[in-house]
Amino acid sequence: MRQSIVLLFFFTSLFGGQPSPVEQAIIAAQRAIEKDPGQPDGYNALAMALARRARDTADTTYYDRAEAAIKRSLAVSPDNFEALKAQCWIRLGRHEFADALVLAKQLNRRVPDDPAMYGFLVDANAELGNYKEAEEAAQWMLDLSRNGVPGLTRAAYLREIFGDRDGAMELMRMAYTRTHPAEIEDRAWMLVHIGQLFTAGGKLKEAAEVLNEALTLVPDYHYALAALAKVRTAEDAHSEAVKLMRRRYEVAPHPENLFDVAAALHNAGKRAEAMKTFLEFEKLALAESAGWDNANRELISYYADYALKPAKALSIAKLEIARRRDVATIDAYAWALHRSGMHREAREEIKKALAIGAADPNILKHARAIEARDRMAKR
Amino acid sequence: MKKLYQFVAPFLALSLVLPVLAGAANHREAPITALDHKADITDVYAFRSYEPGQTDKVTLILCVDPLLEPANGPNYFPFDPDILYEIKVDNNNNAVEDIVFQFRFSTEQRLPNLFQVYAGAGTGITAPANSPPPVPPGTPIVPPQITSFTSIGLGQRQSYRVTMIKGGIATDLSSGLSLFAVPANPGPRTMDYNALFNAGTYSLPNSTRVFAGTTDDAFWIDLGGAFDTLNTSKSPPVLSPAEDAANVNLAADTVSGYAVNSIAIEVPISLLTRTGAVEAATSTAATIGIWATTSRPRLTVRRSPLPAQSSGSFLQVQRMGNPLINELLVGTGYKDRFSMDQPKNDAQFASFFLDPALARVVNALTGGAVAIPTPPRTDLLPVVTYAPPIAAAGTPAGPVADLLRLNTGVAPTIGTSQNRLGLLGGDAAGFPNGRRLFDDVTDVALRLVAGGVLAGPPFSSSPLNTRLGDGVNVNDAPYRTSFPYLANAPSGRGRRHIDPGEPGCTAGFGAACLP
Repeated sequence: MRQSIVLLFFFTSLFGGQPSPVEQAIIAAQRAIEKDPGQPDGYNALAMALARRARDTADTTYYDRAEAAIKRSLAVSPDNFEALKAQCWIRLGRHEFADALVLAKQLNRRVPDDPAMYGFLVDANAELGNYKEAEEAAQWMLDLSRNGVPGLTRAAYLREIFGDRDGAMELMRMAYTRTHPAEIEDRAWMLVHIGQLFTAGGKLKEAAEVLNEALTLVPDYHYALAALAKVRTAEDAHSEAVKLMRRRYEVAPHPENLFDVAAALHNAGKRAEAMKTFLEFEKLALAESAGWDNANRELISYYADYALKPAKALSIAKLEIARRRDVATIDAYAWALHRSGMHREAREEIKKALAIGAADPNILKHARAIEARDRMAKR
Repeated sequence: MKKLYQFVAPFLALSLVLPVLAGAANHREAPITALDHKADITDVYAFRSYEPGQTDKVTLILCVDPLLEPANGPNYFPFDPDILYEIKVDNNNNAVEDIVFQFRFSTEQRLPNLFQVYAGAGTGITAPANSPPPVPPGTPIVPPQITSFTSIGLGQRQSYRVTMIKGGIATDLSSGLSLFAVPANPGPRTMDYNALFNAGTYSLPNSTRVFAGTTDDAFWIDLGGAFDTLNTSKSPPVLSPAEDAANVNLAADTVSGYAVNSIAIEVPISLLTRTGAVEAATSTAATIGIWATTSRPRLTVRRSPLPAQSSGSFLQVQRMGNPLINELLVGTGYKDRFSMDQPKNDAQFASFFLDPALARVVNALTGGAVAIPTPPRTDLLPVVTYAPPIAAAGTPAGPVADLLRLNTGVAPTIGTSQNRLGLLGGDAAGFPNGRRLFDDVTDVALRLVAGGVLAGPPFSSSPLNTRLGDGVNVNDAPYRTSFPYLANAPSGRGRRHIDPGEPGCTAGFGAACLP
């Protein structure tokens, strides 16, 4: 009992009075465990709530606590389905996509009607670049739960990857209107994606509007801060972008977010400060470069575009492309090849990204540059 | 050690509050179908026509929309124009459809100002002498009794089209005819239901007949007892030899007095077999596999760039081949996947078919009195593959698939001579060789899963296995003796459901039950 009171205090102090739905779920799970420590349900609920909290706050220590809860759950009830489900979610959270995919497949075979498992299959496959499998799983989600929010958001994400921005917007809006108003983080998350779709389509005013709405729902929401910063960059409001990216790094202090700060500084013409920040980023990113959970894409961009060390960009890109073949990684790899003077290879790779349907402005920009250089080389 | 799972769409809150709907009955198989009543398939029948003069044909029936309460006006139970209803036939043993019959409905509201969709009485009723203005006396108020599809009191009228797809070619079997669906039966004042039933039985070119409409639920079962964890009124569910032999109900037919929506089509055998001929029972080309599906337009991950191309995608909501496979054998966590998948992929469910949990439940509930064979239950293979005693020896078995298998070479048994236990009762033209209305699939299925009595020598260690049954032996309403064989829908005014404890109501091929 004491634990839950402490927890409640912690949340209320952070969130000005009202614990969010996820915080309430954590408290409820703690109480369930106190009441019945021999049952797995409380631990499972706690693990899922903590994993979700990790996304809310960008604080990955919640994953450690969630894993501890899963361990206890499996100790009282070996092999229980809900615990393994939470395990799968955490593997995804830790970017251990290959392992997550193995587990998701196992669990999907055990209970093929559980829509959540198709969600994991979509996420893991999409991250690894297995888009056909991701699409199949997303279609099962839509089929199993017509108009279900988890299926709609994933289908929206895939449509965006496949280059159908309007279609993605359509589904994301459907998902938004079907989400309970009390689920503020879910709603903010969807608004961020709607904002990003607006940005990619050049509708910056609309983008800023929905992203500000997301920030009203969840103040200092790290995804929204970054998305809004990108709107400001597109508007050439660079010092505003720097401010937003800095705030985002304060809230979510991960190396790839520091890269965004440095890039924003660079755009704002503060070259010295940018270089200092890039160097700090490089140190942090290299430290975790060998693991699954890394900032390698940003590192590639740093070496290719800012530090002008294309060989280093290419060696990191080769490491990453061996692991996953999602659009963003293919793009980064192609760009590293291009910068290293391997134009023909670069063109082969970027063609693969375009074949998937990529309509991301940055990828298209890279594609144009690679194409132009390749034509020159041929001449 | 820090990055976030960016692309995880929100799902926790939602997936946790989703209701856990267990499959409840033949009339409610899978969680998804439980939420989609109109697309819920109750039963599929396939048999050699036994109407005299028509025995070179096969009748295929698909029933949907479970447990329709006949009195449930004012809108009653139209078919859903959004649903694609299909009956599929495999004739070359690969569990993939070779011939498909598609049914699509459309609805017109012909009396938009009336408060109920059907109205009528006698020759019509006019405003009496004291009718207040502005309606002068003598103005028609109530239309005449509905006696045909053109009667003005038939406010809600449905028509449909039948398409056959064979060899990739779609043929409109309706060939320009207006086919009307027989409405629900509100009661004798409003409608001459029987006249509409007869008018709604159509002969089409190609020696084909079709029918669609609201009818009696041709199925019968102690549904409440069966799903109260096999707490049938005969408990344990074992009949005495005398009870087993009688076409009499010892327990209440829970679905008595309810209606379903039925679609029936009769086609020549030669249209269905791969040889295009009527094959002898011993021919490896004689046995076909039948199943039915309901589908709805689907939201797809990828949009087609052209709307005209996007309209072609359907989501299969449900399918049925053998009765009671999805509801009695497939685990709840698999029912949706099963409903939406194709029979050719059924190997993934083979463990449910060949080690049925139901057999173990019967074994446990009877304290072992009903002994069961050891899995894998290869004795059940004739139900899920092409094998004797249904298919002729030498027929390619094909993949494990839930199809209703019909040996079209086996001559039909005349109605009154049919044995409710079908093949198990020595009537080679009955379930699980196809399925007729009269076949007691509940009792047969119980015996099949508990006993190995289909293929090979009977499972002799437990004679009780051959007398398992729920005590409901026949339908409450009398079947027709000609196409479409279905009984009249109970009338809303006169409908009666037989309650547990009542002596029962016995018809089948006998007389109608008294209201």
